[in-house]
Amino acid sequence: MFPRPIQQTRVTTQIAYRIALPVALIIWLLPLLGVAMTSLKPASDLAKGNYFGWPSHLAFVNYADVFRNSPIAQYILNSFKVTIPTVIGAVALSCMTGFALAVYRFRLNLVIFFIFVAGNFVPFQILMVPVRDLTLQLGLYNTITGLALFHISFQTGFCTLFMRNFIRALPSELIEAARVEGVSEVKIFWYIVLPLMRPAIAALSVLVFTFIWNDYFWATVLTNGSSTQPVTAGLYSLNGQWVAQWQLVSAGSLVAALPPVLMFFAMQRHFIAGLTLGAVK
Amino acid sequence: MSPLLQGAITIVLGVGGCVAYFYLSNILLDTVIFPARGRDPGRNINRANMVRPWLFLAPAIFAAGLYLAYPVFGSFYRSLFNRDGNQFIGAGNYFALWGDPAFRRALLNNFLWVLVVPAAATFLGLLAAQLTDRLRWGNIAKSLIFMPMAISFVGASLIWKFVYANNSQIGLINAIRAWLGFGAPIDPLQIPFWNNFFLMVILIWIQTGFAMVILSAALRGIPEETVEAAVIDGANPFQIFFRIKVPQIMPTIMVVWTTITILVLKIFDIVYTTTGGNFGTQILPSYMMSYMFRDDGRATAVAMVIMVVVLPVMVWNIVQARKELR
Repeated sequence: MFPRPIQQTRVTTQIAYRIALPVALIIWLLPLLGVAMTSLKPASDLAKGNYFGWPSHLAFVNYADVFRNSPIAQYILNSFKVTIPTVIGAVALSCMTGFALAVYRFRLNLVIFFIFVAGNFVPFQILMVPVRDLTLQLGLYNTITGLALFHISFQTGFCTLFMRNFIRALPSELIEAARVEGVSEVKIFWYIVLPLMRPAIAALSVLVFTFIWNDYFWATVLTNGSSTQPVTAGLYSLNGQWVAQWQLVSAGSLVAALPPVLMFFAMQRHFIAGLTLGAVK
Repeated sequence: MSPLLQGAITIVLGVGGCVAYFYLSNILLDTVIFPARGRDPGRNINRANMVRPWLFLAPAIFAAGLYLAYPVFGSFYRSLFNRDGNQFIGAGNYFALWGDPAFRRALLNNFLWVLVVPAAATFLGLLAAQLTDRLRWGNIAKSLIFMPMAISFVGASLIWKFVYANNSQIGLINAIRAWLGFGAPIDPLQIPFWNNFFLMVILIWIQTGFAMVILSAALRGIPEETVEAAVIDGANPFQIFFRIKVPQIMPTIMVVWTTITILVLKIFDIVYTTTGGNFGTQILPSYMMSYMFRDDGRATAVAMVIMVVVLPVMVWNIVQARKELR
């Protein structure tokens, strides 16, 4: 049997495995652990120079302070307001386009598909100035609507690529059989293909959620000010205000990272399925 | 009206609009424009079927055209004009870039990033995938290695500031130096040349999880017989790994490598939020941000340079995708 379970190998290998791997893992997570510990230290500890020892008591008050003394709640709300419509919009649009590109044969099919693929890889820097000007002209600059609309269009490229490949892998007999029975195309999409796409929709939703939540580029280009900026941009400006208040910086960073990390742990299976499908196919 | 209600209404309207558009346009096509009756129903059905895909595609093509195709040409056009956009200066912006030592520094650093980050992330990811595959708690280890991937680049940069801080009481590196008895604390991000690598570590830290997940799926897909045959022939674990397993997952390794390469050429967050491009750490995307809202001609010219650098990798990636479609 291969791979051999580690219990059946030589003792030295076993010891190396048992010790080296956990140590490597702890080093890997050290930056995160350090920040988590700093975020729970009372300010008095930091003033005394107790940076690395255990906190003298767990100061959850740091987290309360972050919410009380900064607009981080507003930033997080903004992030949700941008992220949720984007997930819904991009996934809904790409279900349709993916269906069209996977099921119908027509002349420009491949051409359009590769436009979507290329759009997926185009460096977004090239879009910066024109998109900003366009958003200004449309009066959507520094609005959540403008940011969400842009994200929807940009993400649709990746999502379409993903959906098209997923639908392509479905058995085509299902669709043909339905056609022979005289089921209309709308009903084929709605009652046959869409239910089968559920895993893809779940995977894509989780992926897009993290992408958009973590976006910083478009947040700086298309918004300014705490009433519209999402939490990534907000965190950066707060970092400027909190000079040397390390306990606040660390608590803020963790609060901002929490939604995507929780999402990741809750939907881990879908997240990984999504990455694998999106990258390899 | 409360923002929550407003949001809910927007979502309902948006999704409802999509469904309505899609449903009504199909009905319109089937019953009004090309009805399956009259003198030549067969021809009408064929025509309706030729038009139908475009109904599904129209909204997305509109969105992609508005926000993708137009800007690519718009950027190039804009890069031929001066700062205020009212005077045509041809390739002037590009010559100015080439004459700027900061630009050449950024270009050079970018090549360093492209050489180091994808290689390191892919290698570490492969190592992690192979080592955790044989552990009982391997899946937990994988989740933990993968976790940085869910954190934003800005968040990760702030977290790593705690590692690099110029203070032996906050900065992890300086704490270790102090513990080992070295002298005054240093700022790792101000050490010329090497600071680039310290910044790369942050991106490697984030991307290793991605490489690991993809490569671990590929490793599991290797037919067991090939490995068994090698074991029977007396191959040692290293030979099995490098001679049997790695060649079989080479296409996946290349996909991971190129995907990370394309990402590296776009990421500005890390440099922008840690050093702001000072101390010789500038890379092209962050260099471009320094012109944002100051000189659009120069900024778009940098964007075109980034595009040209990404293009070969992009084309390679698309050709690979195309091969798989056939």
